Amino acid sequence: MTATTPDTPKSPLKTGAGKRLTLDALKRDRSDDLTGQVFLGLLLLAVAIAGAMVLAVLITVAIDAADVLSTQFWDFLNNKSSSDPARAGVAQGIRGSILIAGIVSIVAFPVGIGAAVYLEEYASDTKLTRLIEVTVRNLAGVPSIVYGLLGLAVFVQGLRGITGGSSVISAGLTLALLVLPIIIITASEAIRAIPSTLREGAYGLGATQWEVIRTQVLPAAMPGILTGAVLSIARALGEAAPLLVVGAAAFYSTGFQGQLDQLQGAFTALPMNVATFAKLPADVWAGHAAAASVVVLVLVFAINLAAIIMRARLTKKLGR
Amino acid sequence: MKPAWRPAPPSIWSRGFAAGLEVALYLVITILVAVVEYFVAGPFQDFDLSNWWIGFIIMAAWQGWHWAAAQTPVGSYVDHYIADTDGSPACFWCVVVRQLSRFGFLIALPVLAFSTNIALAVALFAVAGLLIAFLPDGRAPWDLLAGTVVSESLAFERPAALAEITKASDFQLGPQRIAENNRARRMMLIAGLSSVFISVLILWNIFSEAWEFVSASEFEWSLLTDIGWFPRRNKFDLATLFVGTLWITGIAILVAAPVGLGVAIYLAEYANSKVRTYVKPMIETLASIPSVVLGFFAISFISPDILKPGGSIFGIDFGIFSLLSAGIGVGILSVPIVASIAEDAMRAVPKELREASYGLGARKATTALRVVFPAALSGISAAIIVAVSRAIGETMVVFIAAGGSGGAIFEANPTEPGQTITAAMASLGAGTDSVAGSGIAFQSLYFLGALLFIMTLLLNVFSDAIVRRFRQVY
Repeated sequence: MTATTPDTPKSPLKTGAGKRLTLDALKRDRSDDLTGQVFLGLLLLAVAIAGAMVLAVLITVAIDAADVLSTQFWDFLNNKSSSDPARAGVAQGIRGSILIAGIVSIVAFPVGIGAAVYLEEYASDTKLTRLIEVTVRNLAGVPSIVYGLLGLAVFVQGLRGITGGSSVISAGLTLALLVLPIIIITASEAIRAIPSTLREGAYGLGATQWEVIRTQVLPAAMPGILTGAVLSIARALGEAAPLLVVGAAAFYSTGFQGQLDQLQGAFTALPMNVATFAKLPADVWAGHAAAASVVVLVLVFAINLAAIIMRARLTKKLGR
Repeated sequence: MKPAWRPAPPSIWSRGFAAGLEVALYLVITILVAVVEYFVAGPFQDFDLSNWWIGFIIMAAWQGWHWAAAQTPVGSYVDHYIADTDGSPACFWCVVVRQLSRFGFLIALPVLAFSTNIALAVALFAVAGLLIAFLPDGRAPWDLLAGTVVSESLAFERPAALAEITKASDFQLGPQRIAENNRARRMMLIAGLSSVFISVLILWNIFSEAWEFVSASEFEWSLLTDIGWFPRRNKFDLATLFVGTLWITGIAILVAAPVGLGVAIYLAEYANSKVRTYVKPMIETLASIPSVVLGFFAISFISPDILKPGGSIFGIDFGIFSLLSAGIGVGILSVPIVASIAEDAMRAVPKELREASYGLGARKATTALRVVFPAALSGISAAIIVAVSRAIGETMVVFIAAGGSGGAIFEANPTEPGQTITAAMASLGAGTDSVAGSGIAFQSLYFLGALLFIMTLLLNVFSDAIVRRFRQVY
């Protein structure tokens, strides 16, 4: 902003007090500006507090987890949940979370991207379009536990024959509904950012609307769409509240399970492991809760990182 | 009778090289499958390494078949045609189906060989199919790498069409392209309607079950004002839950609003691009921490290490579980929401407003607070409202750290344990099966869900209305 100030010392301005206002005077004024400095100090304090929050969470979890992770790292990853602290692990949680992530991506990606394509490419400004937009925006704000209720009513009780009740299928479908609005919104933004010249060029060559979308719009918007979709998977992996309502088990024992039972039987997920351990007496189980938190955090951060790298690579490949 | 423009068929060496690449690809996929298998099926549960050679035998047969097919005139032609994208592409669904079968086979093979885990094989098959269906022309990058996309069905279908020189009529809309276009439009519309469908499902399910709660014979309206929230003893005092929710939300906003707005103003007005590259990921990291982890953080750090020593100064005795501790945890969760929405709102304020302010001699702080902040006020208030809505709906932090389990007595003191709407729902939900049998306690879950849904919906509509009503169009 000093650039906008007249930079000619030879033409001094007269201030009301009769003092000559030069560039030097303005600069001194800035460093003497106590209120401004205090304000900036407060802003920096806010940033520092936010940073301290991040560090405090990560360090607390790491310190609490150190004991369990250093003494029984592989056992912790490989063992089922157990009432014996020395043998309790999160293998069932890892399995559940991976299956849930798979179901979410199979169900939510195509529907979410399709809905975004419809809203951005096909829909004209009709009542129906506006209804869809409003419902998407409101669904994004519905608390996650309400989706749990939906899953309980529809998937666990309504479709018990297919999902097998409280199962990993029910949980995956519930979380797919939960992340659907997020995918629609991010994919819409990515598609909206595609310049219309790209579409017009393809139309000019005689392509149908679907050909334009399939060969021009979707490939060009792919970095943004995939980033949003992958981040929504991270979100789904961290959610515990809907799983609690859908009926994730704190402990379950498996004898021999057939192939279908693995999908339709009792299940748990990593965030459920954290919640279960955290609800148990802290003097024995705090280390396990922290260690399970570390596993969740590593998984979520790894997915976020993968999204960032993928976006960078895809953007580079498209030369934009 | 080959057309002149047809490229020469690949040499046997390049074909051999491609086959080698495909076998290497198969190895990589096998290892990946083994890793997934290890975690999904559990370590060596139904995990059997002794059949690993089956995959190789089938793979070798597959490659042999490819090689033989490539020796026939039609085969060599098609092999090359797909590898080079000369001429018009094959029909979209032909390619998709062909790739599905081929690639699904490639992945499902080691799964079947190792574990006979059919469910997993089917799941992998579907994932791979979707991956490929979304790539342009259904062609996966690794197919171009291997360069061997022979299709048995295509081998006897395409050459006749290809032998003709492209004519103007090829660019006309054939019935197939029109049908494809219409089909795509219908499918996208169905996908778009999914959000409406989900909304209707939520409304119908939650409100019909809530109505069952209200209209049940055991239900009386006085139950909603009985002291304490003990659903299994038919005490449904809403005031208990509302007080808890109000405390949690209030404390969360007291934490999140100053910190979040401070970060937003700093990022939008003060930070240069270098500082932004550090601060922005920090906020995003905070946003990606799952709420269960913050719940654990609240009972393992906020309560014992901050509230206990802090409270002892004022003579307050904090336990591990308190509304204050959970409220701070929810506040930490809300910081990134406030920060990112408010920052976007302030960055949307045009530069001219700031320059005019500087031109009048205003200081930077004055410009930020008296010019940019008011101009972005609609977005900033929307940020706060969205944070309130999130704080009301936040479940796991409160469930873990506020200390109310099955029931809670009325408690207006935030230094004591308490219960919120969401935590009460989580407690009911955690015991879903046992609750189901016991009278109307199960339906009270939906009654609370309906209340929560209405509250957050009103807040979201309100924030939308504020943004639309007070948005300054520049």
